Amino acid sequence: MNALLTSAVAGLTAGGTYALLGVCAVFTYRLVAVVNFTGAAIGTAGTFVLIALYEAGYPIWPSVAAGIAAGTLVGVAIGYIMTRWFGEASASTKAAVTVALLVGIIAIGLRLTGGQHPHNMPELFPGSAFRMAGVEVTIASVLTIGLAALFTVLADLFLNRTKVGLNLRALADRPMAAELLGIRVQLLSLLVWGMTGAFTTFALMIIAPQRSPNFMTLSLLVVPALAAALVGLFRSFWRTLAGGIVLGLVEGMASSIDSVSQYRSAIPFLVVLAVLLWSQREARWDEAR
Amino acid sequence: MSKLVVSNLSINRSELPVVSSLDIAVESGAISVLLGANGAGKTTLLEGLSGIIPVAGGTIEIDGREIQKARPGVRSREGLAHVEQGRTVFRQLTTEENLRVSLHAGADIAEAYALFPELVQRRSVKASLLSGGEQQMLVIARALLTRPKVLLIDEMSAGLAPVIVTRLMSAVRKLADNGLAVLLVEQFAALALSIGNRAYVMRRGRVVHDGDCLKLLKSPGELHRLYLGG
Repeated sequence: MNALLTSAVAGLTAGGTYALLGVCAVFTYRLVAVVNFTGAAIGTAGTFVLIALYEAGYPIWPSVAAGIAAGTLVGVAIGYIMTRWFGEASASTKAAVTVALLVGIIAIGLRLTGGQHPHNMPELFPGSAFRMAGVEVTIASVLTIGLAALFTVLADLFLNRTKVGLNLRALADRPMAAELLGIRVQLLSLLVWGMTGAFTTFALMIIAPQRSPNFMTLSLLVVPALAAALVGLFRSFWRTLAGGIVLGLVEGMASSIDSVSQYRSAIPFLVVLAVLLWSQREARWDEAR
Repeated sequence: MSKLVVSNLSINRSELPVVSSLDIAVESGAISVLLGANGAGKTTLLEGLSGIIPVAGGTIEIDGREIQKARPGVRSREGLAHVEQGRTVFRQLTTEENLRVSLHAGADIAEAYALFPELVQRRSVKASLLSGGEQQMLVIARALLTRPKVLLIDEMSAGLAPVIVTRLMSAVRKLADNGLAVLLVEQFAALALSIGNRAYVMRRGRVVHDGDCLKLLKSPGELHRLYLGG
């Protein structure tokens, strides 16, 4: 039992990251109507700028700032492509484009970072924050969950209390009607891509030391993140936050059970399947009647 | 003086010409009514004017400034407002939020409520829950708050009860009387001609008639002939 709890708590860091990446995915979907498969890859690009600078001997915090700036820029670049050329495309076309971009970013990233070549990833927040049920909870865990909760609160406040947020909600509902009213649609869309790029990068910088700092591994964190977003049905920030954390906890617990440990990477897939079946139950019921 | 001057305008859809060599002018303080059968090119013309679709040739001027290459948002800031077909309210926002979105410098939400007092009681209601007439009032009021010089309105009566259409028409007339230049595309020809000043009739992408509204209203046979050709 204690081993299970230890593993669950160890899964908190991953859960916080899934939650933050998931909340960013919901933010992007609600505001620019894109199911974004490049979310984690954008953050990975920024994280590897930090790694490159750190390995070259630059001080850590300026390197972190440079990495976040790079992640923001990559996010804006992807956003520019999506807004400029696919602004009026269907949701499925946009999602397919981001999958293609993900493949491209991973290919470029692996080429530039040397694939499986081990990297020296600095631990930004080493050490333990507190003990819970006899288990050490790391500062990284607390920070990722805190950052995810902060992003959720800020996103809610930003969208509901500011004029820019109001314009973004209008833009998400009817982009052309918003543009006809003089709203700077392209600028606002790029703002969304830039903001999510910055947050994603910082989250991945925190979690990277606990994961294999490999460009592909970090980029594919988008899978559990989208599973978390699906728990919130791509609408609710708070349900996405909870979904991401629970997903991390379940993954952590699964790692301590020998018989299921090797299948734990399939957990996000099972969550996606379960949520889709659950969300379709009313349609099935109506059909059956 | 004309606020909106359109010269030799051509617009294509899927590379096929829908509007060809079209000239119209819309004056301040007046309503120009644009009539024509389905497929004449009226909606395409309005979408070309506001920048939803690109124009293939010709010029669009507001107060002498050419805007035909500008994006829709820039045209809006130059003073062109477009009330699209289909009551394009922001469904998830309340009535008041819909109005706040469009609020340009110098405009006041009170102007919108003064034009349509019916919306005051509905200010906190989600736009998706408003009636069709209220939604149409909202999109016209929203356009007004962008401080336009020229207002394009496309089929505002579609699917609405006659009493609501009459109410909307009188509001549009009021806007024109306050100095706005209005280009009104309408299926209820008689009602539109009764509030309009200048009438254009389009057929197959071209203007086939340009004249006085009242004169055309008194000649239903002529209007019928212009719609159908021959």
